[in-house]
Amino acid sequence: MTALAGYYLPGAIALWCAVVFALATLWGYADLHRGDESARPFARRSYLFFTLAIVASAIVLGIALARRDFRVDYVFQYTGLELPWHYQIAAFWAGQKGSFLIWLLFGALIGVPLMRTAGRHEAPVMGIYLLAQLGLLLILVRENPFTMLPQAPADGQGLNPLLQDDWMVIHPPIMFVGYALAAVPFAFAMAALFKRDTSEWAARAFPWALAGFLVLGAAILLGGYWAYATLGWGGYWGWDPVENASLIPWLLGTALVHGLYLERTRGRYRRINLVLASLVFLSVLYGTFLTRSGVLADFSVHSFVDLGISGWLIAIMAFFGGMAVLLLGTRLRHVETADNADPALSRGTFLVLATIAILVCAIVVTAGTSAPILTRFLENPGQVGPEFYNRVNLPIALLVAFLLALVPFLTWRGEEGLRAVLRKAAPGLAFGFLATCGAVGLGVHDPFHILFLFLALTALATNLTRFASLARVGKVASAGGYLAHVGVGIILVGFLASSAYDESVKVTLVQGQPVDVGAYSLTFERFLERQGREKERAEVTVSRDGGKVWTAYPKIFVNERSRQLMVNPDIRSTMLADLYLSPLEYDPGRAAGFGELSLRKGEVTRIGEAEIRFVGFDLEHGGNAMAQMSAGDPVSVGAVLEVTRGGAAERVEPVYRFRSDGEVEFPPVTLAGGGRIAVGGIDATAGAVRLLVEGLGEAQGIPARLSLDVTRKPLVQAVWWGMYVILAGGILALVARAKQVRRLGAAAQPSGS
Amino acid sequence: MSRRAWTVIGVVLLVAFAGFAFASFRTSLTPYVSYAEAQRAPRTVQVAGALEQGSTSYDEVATTLHFVLRDPETGATMPVEYDGVKPANFEDAISIVAIGRWDAGQSRFAAGKLLVKCPSKYQGAEVKEYS
Repeated sequence: MTALAGYYLPGAIALWCAVVFALATLWGYADLHRGDESARPFARRSYLFFTLAIVASAIVLGIALARRDFRVDYVFQYTGLELPWHYQIAAFWAGQKGSFLIWLLFGALIGVPLMRTAGRHEAPVMGIYLLAQLGLLLILVRENPFTMLPQAPADGQGLNPLLQDDWMVIHPPIMFVGYALAAVPFAFAMAALFKRDTSEWAARAFPWALAGFLVLGAAILLGGYWAYATLGWGGYWGWDPVENASLIPWLLGTALVHGLYLERTRGRYRRINLVLASLVFLSVLYGTFLTRSGVLADFSVHSFVDLGISGWLIAIMAFFGGMAVLLLGTRLRHVETADNADPALSRGTFLVLATIAILVCAIVVTAGTSAPILTRFLENPGQVGPEFYNRVNLPIALLVAFLLALVPFLTWRGEEGLRAVLRKAAPGLAFGFLATCGAVGLGVHDPFHILFLFLALTALATNLTRFASLARVGKVASAGGYLAHVGVGIILVGFLASSAYDESVKVTLVQGQPVDVGAYSLTFERFLERQGREKERAEVTVSRDGGKVWTAYPKIFVNERSRQLMVNPDIRSTMLADLYLSPLEYDPGRAAGFGELSLRKGEVTRIGEAEIRFVGFDLEHGGNAMAQMSAGDPVSVGAVLEVTRGGAAERVEPVYRFRSDGEVEFPPVTLAGGGRIAVGGIDATAGAVRLLVEGLGEAQGIPARLSLDVTRKPLVQAVWWGMYVILAGGILALVARAKQVRRLGAAAQPSGS
Repeated sequence: MSRRAWTVIGVVLLVAFAGFAFASFRTSLTPYVSYAEAQRAPRTVQVAGALEQGSTSYDEVATTLHFVLRDPETGATMPVEYDGVKPANFEDAISIVAIGRWDAGQSRFAAGKLLVKCPSKYQGAEVKEYS
């Protein structure tokens, strides 16, 4: 029983039960696979119990977090008494264990509708899907989030201040829904190969692939916004390994969505889609390995610590990688697929080229992210910077924009020649040309950038006209792709403008003195102290041509618990450009008459026109020191001082306070004759005090200074809006494809419930 | 054009792109090297080390930071100049990664980017990037 004592039992038992139910489900589905139809209700019920057990363990952890039950190690590590309630929830996914649990929670829940719509391959689909859940579950059983501390501490360690943000509350869980969804097309693909029947999987997996694409896309958008608006990293994308780890599955998922569209409409790509579905899932596992095993610890802004699960992650990767290689290797060549019979200028050919472009992009990002591992075997391990990704992705983006610009006017068979296609695209091309001329007028001179803008703007316009004409005749449901492509056109313009044409300058503002930065004039007005939940912030007025346009409040503060310096930028967004003020450093300066002096007991010193005598310590200040200490109260030592100015003497007693948590406080006392005085330190053996005075001495004041990173980023808004439009298009496509599955489900599922 | 011709064009383009991507990878790669190697290599590299106590000096007007890195294993040291605002809590750093190249004229390492790892009770350490 001693082994059990280390666990918070309600949660740990739920996890162990989940393992049992998962094994029962596998057993049931194995029977069903062998043809025992009566095993289906048992398998399904076991799966529901598995899901219930996972939900129960998540609820137990949630309640422990909400109750601030610091006996549980995980609660102790990530929450604290003063944390507001919504961050108590966010603490659920602040650490590795909790984030694996929420991933598993979503995975288990997704399995419930999957089970009912998996069709005739339900047994292998659910079996393989459940194996993926089991992998996570085994990690959790080992790295148990319910381990207990021998004694409950009085307070937790608090949540990492970087994570104390409203975006943090929603960004990670959405990301984990996306990761959980990636396992679904994989399960369908493996099951289809296993059953040697690939006729139906594409139709059934399509809505799941679209859902994964949508959710992961939304999570990436939120993550970018979080990095941009809160963390003050200066950009929405830094090509950091953690960011790339979510981008790679999304790119592969995008390729899969296009491939499935090609398969469903033209019967092509039957083999390639099976590979793509595997790659989406394996890339999620690989990304998890990269970011959670500690292999990149020296290379990323995100901090990773090896939890000791590298071995597990490698084993899980090897298991599913091996499964994919084995099934694809032995059975792929038996899959019938249609040959490409389409001419070059046809929708089919363009789709193939687009999937190749997206795949190449995914490969480039994977290679760049893996650089520290790839180069480890060559010479010195190294990493590649953002310039690698930007350079190599430029030709890919050009190709994608070119394909997008023409694709709305291509037919599957490609009966029409180039001339006819161009004629249809003429309004879009004209828009692209004129808008690009405008951009050249605004200062875009690089020939690649001009071509890039022309293609992206044309793609935006041609897809928009096509979408509008379909919407006019009531075919919105089938026009999701065009809408998504409008978004790609918008986002490409936003990428180029905000990354290649941003202007950034670091300035140091002296309080009250305006400084010209580009067309703006910035004045650091004052520094505002903390008020309630509002953190310390600087007030900066921004004016242009003599008129005030904006009062910015960039925040810069020291987190009390971690003693980390935190910054939050302030951003003024307009349609055309964002003005981004990110604090770098704040120097409070020094008040006039600041001075520091050391006095022994009885000693007198002169500062400015005042004389200060240190009469002696007052150890009984506010009560008996020993009694305070044993009661755990702060211990105060007073220093009795006599300040004489212009013949008038006053007696003051500033204190030096030792708090029970090891910190010290030395509140200043205000003198009746003006100025302030505080005890900055005590030397008990010498019987001396160090005094800090203000407004007494002759020293000149030093004004406060604020260092800022001032950036003007054109068209950042286009990045957000482009992504919204892409996601809106994806939702339209999802609705259309889900309807098709419903029809399929009615026709092709004679057995089962 | 025939199907074969298109295939050839496609393969040629892919190979050309692969070459371009590989070349970009090589030029953009900043390997981790020792101080001695950094001083020999005429390229952008990254070096890691601990901050030599008391070696920091910061010019607020020009916003340049000077400090000395010490390799905790070999004990080798190297002076570094960083052109930028001094990172917060810089003196508390437990390890620093500097990305840049050796400036033979000034005989010091000119860093364009710093990764500063500060002690933190949140999952061991906190890394912040400055460029």
